[in-house]
Amino acid sequence: MLEPILFTLFSIIAIVFAFNVIFRRNAVHCALHLVGVLLSLSGMFVLLNAPFIAAIQILIYAGAIMVLFLFVVMLLNVKGDAALLTPGGWKGFGFFFALIMFVELLYVVLSQGGTEGTPAQTIALPPGFGSPAEIGRILYSTWLFPFEVTSILLLIAVIGAVVLAKRKFA
Amino acid sequence: MDLTFLIASAVKVLIVLGFVLLGVPLIVWMERKVIGHMQDRIGPQRVGPFGLLQTIADGIKLFFKEDIIPSGADRVVFIIAPALPVITAFLALAVVPFGDTVHIAGHAIPLQVTDVNIALLWILGTTSMGVYGIVLGGWASNSKYPLLGGLRSSAQMISYELAQGISLVSVIVFTGTLSLASIVQQQEHLWFILYPTLFLSFVIYLLCGIAETNRAPFDLAEAETELVAGFHTEFSSMKFALYFLAEYANMMVVSGIAISVFFGGWRGPFLPPVVWFLIKLSLFLFFYVWLRATFPRLRYDQLMAFGWKVLLPASLLNLVITALWVGLTG
Repeated sequence: MLEPILFTLFSIIAIVFAFNVIFRRNAVHCALHLVGVLLSLSGMFVLLNAPFIAAIQILIYAGAIMVLFLFVVMLLNVKGDAALLTPGGWKGFGFFFALIMFVELLYVVLSQGGTEGTPAQTIALPPGFGSPAEIGRILYSTWLFPFEVTSILLLIAVIGAVVLAKRKFA
Repeated sequence: MDLTFLIASAVKVLIVLGFVLLGVPLIVWMERKVIGHMQDRIGPQRVGPFGLLQTIADGIKLFFKEDIIPSGADRVVFIIAPALPVITAFLALAVVPFGDTVHIAGHAIPLQVTDVNIALLWILGTTSMGVYGIVLGGWASNSKYPLLGGLRSSAQMISYELAQGISLVSVIVFTGTLSLASIVQQQEHLWFILYPTLFLSFVIYLLCGIAETNRAPFDLAEAETELVAGFHTEFSSMKFALYFLAEYANMMVVSGIAISVFFGGWRGPFLPPVVWFLIKLSLFLFFYVWLRATFPRLRYDQLMAFGWKVLLPASLLNLVITALWVGLTG
């Protein structure tokens, strides 16, 4: 009963904020609306029985990464003067690909669940689904290799950032 | 979701809300009085008995002050920013257990607003969201000192969040749960502070907590000597009061979590659990004030070096040792 209401609420917030991310002139406002999108997505993860992912979403994306985004935007003092919806070669190009992407996504969404107009069949969740312990177990057993590869990738990025920052630009 | 649950939750929310709102003036009074005596002064004493009503009077004064928004400020963000740290502080307090389960008219009611199974992550998440209030307040003022103060303090909070999170991970490894209620439950016989590795976690957690709340000696965000008043320079009236409230509410959050995780929560002999919680909370808040009266402010580079080169490696090492210990002893 409560679930559809909350889902609708979070979806509306996410969509409205996502539009604001694109159409706002002020880059800081855009970043803040992106935080709003991330928070409402985290609410949806809770509805999907994934509290751990929801918490991580807030902690990492909304709490850490977006603060760094804000830092950069604030320090660069980006002036959002250029109007977005003006005709222009590159922008038309971008809109064209965005449209293709949208149609593609729409096709995927509509072809999966909504063909009969009935909600997808509910599947009984295994015990401990979405709990930190269960996610940890899966991450360190079934998905160990991708997990380690990702961590090496991040390590490379960290070292790369340090090397770039330390380089003397003479 | 029955009616008693809803009523009990609403009452608990109101209790926590009221406790913080009434507690903060008391803490501010305590701080001024204690620091006064530590500096050989007598502190506030004119308004009410022992000056107890001084902070209430200050609050009323702030309420009636003119609310100034600087002309170059980003109005919407300027208005929203002071509310954010208060909201996140209250959200974090929602998972702190302040007493044992009580039985009222046949209903078992745990004295905790809500017991989520990701409580510790929830707390870290809300504190990381609290950064926004400060960085946005600094930016929206459109003034150089607040901007510098805001950037400084958010860099500080992000840096110390890492070590704080990892020090709590040691506890999670040790207890195998993220729920604060069951962490308190596991300390029935022995407080976690008495285990050697968890003692180190506690030290790291507390240092990071002080840095997270921007309190002395880590109050670089509002270093008066260099930044006027840091991020809240341009804020007046209730907006300033909200930042003030948030600082003290966050002190309560850090203390409440330290109590629940390391000091047995509401557990204690003879006295009722809630009283024990309040005693421990007061001791923690006193410790905060004591620190402020004792230590001079750090330099900014010292602060960052301490966070990244001392606390973070120490917390990682501690995590490895704790994991080994848990793995070897079972």
